[in-house]
Amino acid sequence: MSNFIFKLVRTLRRTTFSVLACTAVAAVSADAQTAEIPRTQDGKPDMNGIWQALGNAHWDIEPHAARAALQMQAGPVVPVPAKPVLAFGAVGSVPSGVGVVVGGEIPYLPEARAKKIENQENWSERDPGIKCYLPGVPRATYMPFPFQIFQSSSHFFIAYEYAGALRNIYMEDPGPAQVDSWMGQSVGHWEGDTFVAEGSGFNDQTWFDRAGNHHSASMTVVERYTMTSPHHILYEATIEDPETFSRPWMIRMPLYRHVNEDARLGQFKCVEFVEELMYGQLRKNPIGSEERR
Amino acid sequence: MNMRHTTLISAVLLMIASSGFSSHVKAQVRAQVDGQWVMPRTADGRPDLQGNWTNATTTPIQRRRDQDAVYTPEEAARIEGGRAARTEALNQPSDPDRVAPPVGGDGSVGAAGGVGGYNYFWLDPGDRVAMFNGELRASLIIDPADGRYPSRTDASRQRMAEASQFRRQFGQYDNPENRPLAERCIVSFGSNAGPPMLPNYFYNNNYTIVQTPDHIMIMTEMVHDTRIIRMGTPKPLPEHVKPWFGDSWGHWEGDTLVVETTNFSPTQLNRGQLSGATDNLKITERFTRADEYTLNYEFTVDDPETWTDTWSGEVPFTRLPGLVYEYACHEGNYALFNVLSGARAQERREGGRQTPER
Amino acid sequence: MRKNQTILALIGLATVVTVVPLMAHHAFGAEFDRDAPIRLQGPVVRLEWVNPHAWIHLEITKEDGTNEVWMVEGGTPNTLLRRGLRRDCLTPGTEIIVDGYQTKDHSLTRANGRDVTFTDGTKIFLGSSGTGAPYEAEMLATRQQQGRC
Repeated sequence: MSNFIFKLVRTLRRTTFSVLACTAVAAVSADAQTAEIPRTQDGKPDMNGIWQALGNAHWDIEPHAARAALQMQAGPVVPVPAKPVLAFGAVGSVPSGVGVVVGGEIPYLPEARAKKIENQENWSERDPGIKCYLPGVPRATYMPFPFQIFQSSSHFFIAYEYAGALRNIYMEDPGPAQVDSWMGQSVGHWEGDTFVAEGSGFNDQTWFDRAGNHHSASMTVVERYTMTSPHHILYEATIEDPETFSRPWMIRMPLYRHVNEDARLGQFKCVEFVEELMYGQLRKNPIGSEERR
Repeated sequence: MNMRHTTLISAVLLMIASSGFSSHVKAQVRAQVDGQWVMPRTADGRPDLQGNWTNATTTPIQRRRDQDAVYTPEEAARIEGGRAARTEALNQPSDPDRVAPPVGGDGSVGAAGGVGGYNYFWLDPGDRVAMFNGELRASLIIDPADGRYPSRTDASRQRMAEASQFRRQFGQYDNPENRPLAERCIVSFGSNAGPPMLPNYFYNNNYTIVQTPDHIMIMTEMVHDTRIIRMGTPKPLPEHVKPWFGDSWGHWEGDTLVVETTNFSPTQLNRGQLSGATDNLKITERFTRADEYTLNYEFTVDDPETWTDTWSGEVPFTRLPGLVYEYACHEGNYALFNVLSGARAQERREGGRQTPER
Repeated sequence: MRKNQTILALIGLATVVTVVPLMAHHAFGAEFDRDAPIRLQGPVVRLEWVNPHAWIHLEITKEDGTNEVWMVEGGTPNTLLRRGLRRDCLTPGTEIIVDGYQTKDHSLTRANGRDVTFTDGTKIFLGSSGTGAPYEAEMLATRQQQGRC
């Protein structure tokens, strides 16, 4: 009798172990599927929360080697940082990056590539980011600042920490944009578990990064947000602008969730920060002028 | 005074007043009498406050001293009719042979600044008296009972005097920092984002509300400012962290969203209605969906070191029939450049003497 | 012009006037020179439909026969957009008349658009009372027939 019980228990233990093992394997398999992605009550992937891109797309979205500064001038031996950025030293140096453009390079039309180079050579006078101008799309996504998604059954709204930029991505198409704007007009819909936002009505004032990459007011952007895990969104943006590029092109990067409990969007109202830069020479007594008492 | 003009104007006023007023009241009554309106709810069972709203109204923040708390229907009709008549008058053609306006200014007052501002068609100041729970309100402030700001403490007057003294060491055009925050495109003029969220009586008094189970986001058209309200038990920010629009936490009391805000930025406490307030300022707001087209907004401002009593207001937010547009202010701010360069030019013209206060 | 002024004065007396706000995006008196009035007439060159103020660029011909482009300040375009008015309502080439005052910085050819009209005196845009008064629909219909908004 005890022998039978012993065998029974042993079998049970093995069975239990097998069942547990299977369950564990099944659980690992499930990790790789979308089943565990948090969902809203209407069944959509729940992208509510605070997100941020890593990497250095905000410096330059094309593959690039590290360089001394965003703006260079001829030096006696090699190019050196230009005067407006010299004081930043290594803080102003550009890190290397493999780029986020699928296929490597932006397919500029020849004149547009020349303009990009000109933008780069005159960076300190031309980058709209210097003046705290609204960053546009897709640059807002990968600025080195977090953004917060507010997703309900009727709305998909993104508040960016940088410059208080924001986008209300309409879930119902209001028709063509009545006026060009910095952040454009975007209309969203779901394709399965991917949120698709189609943006148009952009002005021609924004850049893609700090490397002079630019576009015209004909640009349209189609973004795809796909949650690949509870803490990751795969972000893809397809840019189309026949005035600037020879064909549509795409950028792709992961977005990472801020998981710390007290995560919150800060305020970066940088308009104040650039007043000396933009209006300093109009002070009654400009700093450093002869008239300064 | 031309009798014909007087008769014409009276007739216009009467016609517009009667048509405007009755349709306004009818619309409100219809929403309730039909009895079929059901509170729209989000998936988690809460009242749905989402969408585009406006708090534009003719009703002022403070009540005139000789005014009852509630307008009679005739008074309201006269106000709304007067607004409509003014709009019609200002839509009339001008003289195509008109000459330039007079040297020395055209006599216009207020914001028009003696140079006549710009055409009325740019404005959208609100055409309706504020109707709150069926009452035609003569002020947005409802407490104190006279509908006016309560008295200030001596300490708050002292703080305001010190701030004023600090400002007086500069000429008003000396530096960009001496210009109003709205002119610098840092926040809207008035208290659009607040809190409290008040109309500015000019334009763009528009908001978008987005609601999730754990956040309420209120976006103000001017100047594309977002207030992010977290739901739940407040975890106070460290004392030295003081964002614009403060730090807001919300919870539901039945079907009313209650929002409590503290930690206001010092610059916000040095401006407008909140001038002279202290770090202890707390503002409580209540949002209740009243019907299909109306969101009842109530607020209470509390700082015993600044006002001798709390003060409260009630503002109807109504559905905005249209989009909220981008208001990229800083990006197109020629005006600040013009003001500063103009002051420097005037100083040069006047041989470097202090720019006269204008 | 005088007739309109009289009407305004009457309305001011006849209605219960709400508090006139002294604030705005900025006080016009800070930007424009009361002692430098202008009257400009010429074709629209460009519309800058931006905030905080839209700017209408027009080309005038000076007394010496040379051309000069001025920009006149308007209000927020958002108000017009919400009324369904599009920027292309006012097309380049359309002749307009502006009266106002030049910026205090006289080196700039900029002024406030105190009153901006077509050459027949009608306003380039219409204000809306929001009451749906019958006269408004009529005015809009007439303007649309003229190719205006």
